[in-house]
Amino acid sequence: MFLRLLWESFARQRRRKLLAGIAILLGATAVTAMLGLATTIGDRIHQELAVYGANIIVYPKADTLDVKVGDQSLKPATGGAYLQEKDLEKLRGIFWANNITGVSPELTSSMRFGGELYALNITAPLKGYWFNHSFGPIKTGAPSLHPAWKIQGRWPEDNPNAPDQHEAVIGVSLATKLHRSVGDVLYFPSMSDLGLKSPAMPFNEDPPLKVVGIVSAGDETDNHVLVPLSYVQWKVGGYDNIGWNGISRVEISARTKPEDAFARRDPDTLSPKDRDVWYCRPYANSIAYQIAEAIPGAHAEQVRQVEQSEGTILERISGLMWLISAAALLAAAVAVSAAMATAVLERGAEIGLMRSLGASKGRIASLFYAEAGLLAIGGGACGYIAGSLLAAILTAKIFGEPSGHTTLAHAFNPVLLPVVLALALLVAIAGSTASIRGALRMDPSAVLRTGA
Amino acid sequence: MSTATTASESISLSRILVRSLKHRRARSLSALAALTVSAMVATALLTLYADLNAKLHHEFRSFGANIVATGAFTDADIHHAREAAGSDALIAPVAFAVAATDRGTPVVVAGVDFAAMHRLDNWWKVDAWPTGTTDALIGQRAAGFVVNETAVTLTYAGQPITLHGAGKLSTGGDEDSRIYIPLPAFTKWTGVQPTVLEIQVPGGEDRVNTTIATLQHTLPALHVEPVRALVAGESRIVDRTHALMYGAMLLIALTVAVSVLATLSASVLERRRDFALMKALGASQIQLIGHFLLEALVLATAGVMLGYILGSALAWAIGEMNFGTATLPRISLLPLVLLLNLVIATAAALFPARVLRGLQPAALLKGE
Repeated sequence: MFLRLLWESFARQRRRKLLAGIAILLGATAVTAMLGLATTIGDRIHQELAVYGANIIVYPKADTLDVKVGDQSLKPATGGAYLQEKDLEKLRGIFWANNITGVSPELTSSMRFGGELYALNITAPLKGYWFNHSFGPIKTGAPSLHPAWKIQGRWPEDNPNAPDQHEAVIGVSLATKLHRSVGDVLYFPSMSDLGLKSPAMPFNEDPPLKVVGIVSAGDETDNHVLVPLSYVQWKVGGYDNIGWNGISRVEISARTKPEDAFARRDPDTLSPKDRDVWYCRPYANSIAYQIAEAIPGAHAEQVRQVEQSEGTILERISGLMWLISAAALLAAAVAVSAAMATAVLERGAEIGLMRSLGASKGRIASLFYAEAGLLAIGGGACGYIAGSLLAAILTAKIFGEPSGHTTLAHAFNPVLLPVVLALALLVAIAGSTASIRGALRMDPSAVLRTGA
Repeated sequence: MSTATTASESISLSRILVRSLKHRRARSLSALAALTVSAMVATALLTLYADLNAKLHHEFRSFGANIVATGAFTDADIHHAREAAGSDALIAPVAFAVAATDRGTPVVVAGVDFAAMHRLDNWWKVDAWPTGTTDALIGQRAAGFVVNETAVTLTYAGQPITLHGAGKLSTGGDEDSRIYIPLPAFTKWTGVQPTVLEIQVPGGEDRVNTTIATLQHTLPALHVEPVRALVAGESRIVDRTHALMYGAMLLIALTVAVSVLATLSASVLERRRDFALMKALGASQIQLIGHFLLEALVLATAGVMLGYILGSALAWAIGEMNFGTATLPRISLLPLVLLLNLVIATAAALFPARVLRGLQPAALLKGE
């Protein structure tokens, strides 16, 4: 009997049920979408913040001091300590290896321009970098760690096919100073430039560089000559020292967890248990610590400008989303309650009839609650699906689609389903309670006579 | 009979309205609640949205300077730059020199105004900011090349100076290799004037570009550059958050609007009997729709008044909780919210009117 009443009520009052159902559906959609956005926004903003470049910097422990003011570096090109390029492979063995999204080693030398440019007496820093270098599963290098660098032309090939053709990219300020553009060739001073008649000692002329691109960085890189790392290693290590693979600095970008008070602790002062927890969290600090452990003679440091400020911004933006979700929940709750109340109020006559036919108040109430519950579960489930899809579409539209993150499986967060259903049930039942009680209090005969 | 009704129409319309709202108090209240919530949510979201840019740009100020000017400049130039950048900008002149530490290692020494640097470079990890006139801030890498950190002796062009190492600085950048000392002491010691102006203007890319143009115009001798990665990144994130907020706003507004529409039109539909009675008594279709419309509009206006106040309070609370600064109510949003609510109410009143038109009063009154 109860089930039949329930069924009839849905079958006969399709339009009214639809209205209440739509209210619940939309409320659940909005709440699911907002919660979905709020839970993923942190990761997304974090990815956006990657434009600030490396968040971990690695240099040799026994390094000399950087004596660098603006674009003038007074650091001796040789004589410093070096790390080994081949040791970078060890980064792939650390605990958080999969969180490393970019690696850019660097080696600096200098270039005095020869040929026609010799008279200008210009020496520019010569920087060796990786360009689109394969590092395990990722392709990385200086350009990917400096998204603000704008290239006109192309980046040099890491391994030129022709051994005598070496490619370079020059900074935009340097290009103006030298009056050189893409396609020109830069020479090192030759014997005749230096005024040497016959070599007093063996003279190795550095191979010329072909300019394949001009980079505009907005910082001191605008005055640099950028070449593949192997070229500078060759120049710094000496031509007869094949296999020397020194690097002076490595920039690393890693996916990290925003810093909190625990992250700032010194791991060496923690208890063994806390130390394990600290070690196994992807803080920039702990990743830097692991990198320093993995690479011999290295010191790794988090870049505080990025890490420090990122935490605050992430907190603010996700905080905002959570609060808006709360506001959405509130609005949806009131709207759904109003819709449910309306649905009950207009059935005064029906209630009166059931009462006069001998149905107990409890029985009628349970019928109405069952209706509300069914509507809530149906509307809530559909709303969960719609909301999850909506959140996925919104995120994809706004933040673009990062690789491997937009499959449908990622759109649905299973934790949200019970949350949304519980909320829908709660709101529907709470919303109908006042009107059900009100309707039950009415005198059946009065209700039936006025026929409202 | 119909002439008698029309004669006293203006009175009876308002009376019908008041009585109909009073008589169905529960129903009117639920419609009012729905309209209040829709106005409240719209007000709160619009207020937050209007304030979002300023709030987010404010957060990005913790990244430090976003404009760097280099060149030789005088105190007058700094003054001009301050005027050009605006009163809300932070400006810190920095002077650099290469000196030798007590170990004989060359080190970059920077002369700065510590108070300005503290505000500008909030992200620096400093254990204690120097306060005295001969206090120095030692970069953590530079500290390894100093024998005595409490009394650091530096030599520049044969001139020694001894400073008290007040604190250590750690940034993970070039700053780690430097020693920072107060600017007056620096100038007296080296005779070198500041060559770098670090400037932080609040606001996005547009504001930065305008400021750069003004600075270049007033101080043509300086080389002014934006800190490009910072400015571009900031704009991207602010834009994305803005878009996200916009999407969220539309979504919530739509939800509330449809729910309110459903509630209101249900309450109109359910009064078919009134409708039939009035029609039987000679009211025209226009009069009836006018009545429903007026009732909905009165409720909508009352809802906006309440909702605007509640919504402004909600926006204020969210601003205070999340950003630590209050989001002030914007009266300019009131017309927009009112319009929004009136549109919802009108739609809610007109939607059932189409359904009602087809009904026969006689059949309805008979109870069929």
